[in-house]
Amino acid sequence: MPFRMTEFAPSDIERRLEFVNLGSDDRTRIAAVQRDVLDHLDEHVAAFFDHLARFEEARGLTGRAELIEEARRLKREHLVAMVSGTYGREYIEQRFRLGQVYSRAALEVSIFMGAFHTLMASVGRRIMARYPKDPLAGFEHFTSLKKVAFFDIAIIVDAMMADREQTIRQQQEAIRELSTPTLQVRDQLLILPIIGVLDTQRAKQLTESLLRAIRSHRARVVVMDITGVATVDSKVANHLIQTVEAAALMGASVIVTGVSADVAQSLVTLGIDLGRITTLGDLQGGLEEAERILGYSVVRTTAIDAA
Amino acid sequence: MPVPILKQGSVLIASIQAALTDHDLLQLRDELAEKVGRFRSRGVIIDVTALDVMDSFATRTLRGIAATARLRGAQTVVVGVQPEVAIAIVQLGLTLQGVPTALDLEEGLDLLRRSMARDLPS
Repeated sequence: MPFRMTEFAPSDIERRLEFVNLGSDDRTRIAAVQRDVLDHLDEHVAAFFDHLARFEEARGLTGRAELIEEARRLKREHLVAMVSGTYGREYIEQRFRLGQVYSRAALEVSIFMGAFHTLMASVGRRIMARYPKDPLAGFEHFTSLKKVAFFDIAIIVDAMMADREQTIRQQQEAIRELSTPTLQVRDQLLILPIIGVLDTQRAKQLTESLLRAIRSHRARVVVMDITGVATVDSKVANHLIQTVEAAALMGASVIVTGVSADVAQSLVTLGIDLGRITTLGDLQGGLEEAERILGYSVVRTTAIDAA
Repeated sequence: MPVPILKQGSVLIASIQAALTDHDLLQLRDELAEKVGRFRSRGVIIDVTALDVMDSFATRTLRGIAATARLRGAQTVVVGVQPEVAIAIVQLGLTLQGVPTALDLEEGLDLLRRSMARDLPS
């Protein structure tokens, strides 16, 4: 399930409570042991953070004053809410915020789980102490509370994951942007080196950024170098043709260069016709042809020493 | 909304201002065909900067205009195709084959000037 607070419907909350099997009996039992949590809040919170303090890997949280303050406050809030008996939208929002704090502190899920278990053990000892003659009752009360704990863990872990996934998405986006630079080498002449794998998504983005560059640089010729494209199959070739045609509609002619022997052979074998596209052996050839179209001529001003 | 057609020397400039209906397009075609003859124009520029969609009818009509104008002795250039429009045209498998395109009005005039200079006996 995608985890974003805005997408969280009341039915999702109900479903999650069903997943941990939390019923009305459980709510009654939780109410009965409420004082065991509320009267010893500091002790339980300390159990959690003392556990974290033992591990170097948790320094991202325990070593940063502003985060640990917030985490302590939220954890206290958490314990109070846990025994309140209402687990609605507001409750989930609180758990979600806590998960975001952990994620900002780069806290690993494995360490968090250990600390949370220590906290629950601390709560469990208090509950068991309430029923010295009836351990079964103690166990049942504790189990009811544990259902809420697992309900919470799922949300906190989901929040941590969602945060991480978002980071990954942003990085992918950045890599994609970086991987398709459009460079101006002369007035009205752009080069577009393509490196790596051309999938549909990237081809689309490449076409868009090229067309934008054509407009902003007022380009008339584009040299597209595909030396760095490992494999060209019919799909990739189709993308290239579409890019060239779209650029032509913007008034720019495209020269494709860097078609290696292997790529050329596989294109011929596959029967793909690039006849409508101007192709030249290498980038140098492409640039020279582009300069010819634009009316440039490059003249060497000093002769090379005749050695 | 009819498309205004301006005369600039030997070039006619049709500047499309808003989305066109099929009827507007046909009217543009007829009017251009008539004016090319009346003004003895050598070039036609159709500026589509304001269009954010171009369907099969529009591209076919543009090809038709270009072919008609060529028969009447004028070369047609379509200018101002937006990036999104270009991508859509290509993805829909439509073409403007036989119709030269240029980035904007300035480039289009430049293109016409060059090709007219080439046509003139030197």
